[in-house]
Amino acid sequence: MEKLTVKGLLVLSFAGACALLAFYLGVFTGETRVYPHLFYIPVILAGVWYRKKAIYVALFLSGVYILVTHYSLTYLSVDVFERSTILIVVAYIIGLVSEKRAQVEAEIVRERDKFQKILSTISEIIFLIDRDFKVLELSKPQLRADIEMEDVIPAPYRRMPSSQFIKKKDVIGKKCYKWFWGKEKICSDCPVPSVFENGEGTRKVGSFVLADGTMMYLDVEYIPVFDEKGNVVQVIGDIRDITERKRMEEQLKSAEEQLRETKDYLDEIIKSSADAIVVVDMEGNVRSWNKGAEAYMGYTADEVIGIPNRKFFADPEEADRIMELVLREGELKNYRTIVLRKDKEPVHISMSAALLRDKNGVSIGTVRVSRDITKEVELEQKIKEERDKLNLIFESMPDGVYIVSMDYNVEFMNKVLIDEFGDRVGGICYEVFHGREEPCPLCKNTEVMNGKTVRWEWHSRRKNKTYDLIEAPLRNINGMLSKLTIFRDISDRKRMEEELRETCKRLAELDKMKLDFLSVAYHEMRSPLAPIIGYASLLEPKLSDKERRYICNIEKCARDLEEMINRMLELARIDGRKVELTFEELSIPEVVQKVAKKLKPAAEAKNQIISLLIPELTIQADEQKLLAIFTNLISNAIRYTPEGGGIGIMVEERGEDIRGCVADTGPGIPAEHLPKIFERFYMADTSMTRKSGGFGLGLSIVKEYVRLHGGRVWATSEPGKGSKFFFTLPKRQISKSKRGE
Amino acid sequence: MKKRILIVEDAPYMREMLVEMLEQEKGSYEVVGFAVNGKEAVEKYKELKPDLVTMDLVMEVMDGIQAIEEIKKYDQNALILVVSALGTPEYRDAAMRAGADGYLWKPFTVKNLTDVLTELLESQEK
Repeated sequence: MEKLTVKGLLVLSFAGACALLAFYLGVFTGETRVYPHLFYIPVILAGVWYRKKAIYVALFLSGVYILVTHYSLTYLSVDVFERSTILIVVAYIIGLVSEKRAQVEAEIVRERDKFQKILSTISEIIFLIDRDFKVLELSKPQLRADIEMEDVIPAPYRRMPSSQFIKKKDVIGKKCYKWFWGKEKICSDCPVPSVFENGEGTRKVGSFVLADGTMMYLDVEYIPVFDEKGNVVQVIGDIRDITERKRMEEQLKSAEEQLRETKDYLDEIIKSSADAIVVVDMEGNVRSWNKGAEAYMGYTADEVIGIPNRKFFADPEEADRIMELVLREGELKNYRTIVLRKDKEPVHISMSAALLRDKNGVSIGTVRVSRDITKEVELEQKIKEERDKLNLIFESMPDGVYIVSMDYNVEFMNKVLIDEFGDRVGGICYEVFHGREEPCPLCKNTEVMNGKTVRWEWHSRRKNKTYDLIEAPLRNINGMLSKLTIFRDISDRKRMEEELRETCKRLAELDKMKLDFLSVAYHEMRSPLAPIIGYASLLEPKLSDKERRYICNIEKCARDLEEMINRMLELARIDGRKVELTFEELSIPEVVQKVAKKLKPAAEAKNQIISLLIPELTIQADEQKLLAIFTNLISNAIRYTPEGGGIGIMVEERGEDIRGCVADTGPGIPAEHLPKIFERFYMADTSMTRKSGGFGLGLSIVKEYVRLHGGRVWATSEPGKGSKFFFTLPKRQISKSKRGE
Repeated sequence: MKKRILIVEDAPYMREMLVEMLEQEKGSYEVVGFAVNGKEAVEKYKELKPDLVTMDLVMEVMDGIQAIEEIKKYDQNALILVVSALGTPEYRDAAMRAGADGYLWKPFTVKNLTDVLTELLESQEK
């Protein structure tokens, strides 16, 4: 049901009015010919507004007319039906025409909506203005969804329209400069007048600064709209936001700028590079040859451009191989080969090459950067030889040798280790050698990396082996420090050392036992001498001369035996380190005189002459020992010097030492015996024993006493003429403590 | 006045020899007793109060060093002469530390003995 509108009411009231009029005139006046013309008013109105529904109005009015006429004073004539029919036909025709028009209009509206929708959907803004700069159409009032009025920085910059305050109706019919820029006059740079004048479209790019400081760019295209006569009647404006494009363009521009700078820089590098940079085309001919190439190849660029590059290789095949490799891989890195200089000298080079392509991706040649590595190659060769030599040494060593880096990486291990652990170069040392998850607690890496060489012994409880380790810092060719470890299994040596130590200890114990035993034994041997000598001394006064001589001989022999035992005891004490020296300042003449006095009777008994050459000297020594030294030497001299021979005793100062000499005129000692005469129980000639007695202990005691003083003893001899016994003693003792410890 | 002497010595022939030697000195000494070990020596010393003791070192039951210490503990002024075959400084020092007043190294002659005794007794009288 359509709502009853103003139009509907109007039609109904007209129709009602007509019906009432017809009724009134027909009943009261009988007039039926004039008023029916009024019926056309509601019918036409209904036809215009309600299209086909006008027929109902016509039918209604026709009905009313016929009825009124029938019941009026007049009679029903043909005219009445004629007029009613005409009315219905007119209503029908008007309804038809009106219907048609409504359809066309609806079509137009649909089209228009579609067009509007398209316009509002596209990102561009389309507007239409006429010659008076009046805006006729605007596709949408907002330029970009994210831009609000506040985003645009106001004067002196232009203001941007904002959807917030601009509504389409505010714009349509307004002067463009008014709504768009808020101006009262056409903009001075407006391109629209020229479009109207020339009939040619134009475009203009404008820019704005947004609140965030960025620029916004608008590209406006102005398109003329012509009428049938070819006059420009309107101008279409097409506004496009080209900010993004502009930004990209600028980026591109700056990238190009950078690229150009880089290219200039690269060109400069290529020109001045010490490395040879050579470009070779696909045919293998040289196309570019820089200064670096000139420098070590000896050819100038002019000499070689256009020449096949095969010419430069010691093995021309190399040129093909390189080309093939570059073509296959696209590049070549640190390829080593040998080229020939202009003077035919070979040069080792390291070459890196890459394929050159044009902008379409077609290969046009190769660029090659080469470096003279002759020196490096020679050095490497030398290093390799050295390394091989070292390796050979390491391989043949029975010791384990390995190198680890600062971060515990195994860099080298020799054959011994490889045989035991497998080749684990590259592994982590504590994992490889010890099965640990972290560095060993005894690891010497830190010390070694600080430049120290460490030597230590390590006992592996797991293997029950002892190793002697030498760990030293090793500077690699790249300057990095590594640790070189050489280790030797010294378990056997260790065991032997241990055994030896045990043996030594046992021997020392045995020796002590022996010395203790000897000490006791010598004392026991002395005990029987006590009654022998004691009783002899008791007997002596009671006997006849002859008997007294016998008993004296017994006593003398017992005394000799005692002396011998005493010496053995003394030597045992020296060996047991029980002899201590008491140093005091002694006058040498006094000491010698004491000894000479004691031994005088013995010398006189053999008619021997003792000559002394003793200067006034003092010495720091143990008196008893010094007396013993002189006594032993002089009594030996007396013993071995024949009847009536001479004995000389001399003492002199020799730097920090006192040198003593006791010379006899005895049979002498054969040279081969001289080094041994100070050894215990040694005698030059057993036959002498019987002649002279003694047991070879006197010289041993002399030697020990001299040694305890820090001196030296030796002898010279001329067989048949005599012997000289020398000793030196330091004048001053460094410390008063006992010696020989 | 004769000096009363106690002889401490385990070997019988040594005891006899010491008596013989002391009697040689025309009545200067009188041997008042013998002891064959250190323990006996201490007992005899307390009993006899001799002027001088000759002390052997190597004996059974109690050795000479211990005996010297015991006697000296009993009588600070006891006069003791060690008569021993042990003659090295270690023994001599040990005996002296224990309190011995003299040391006669075996073997010795009559003269050796009388010289030492005379010297010892004289020094004590002073």
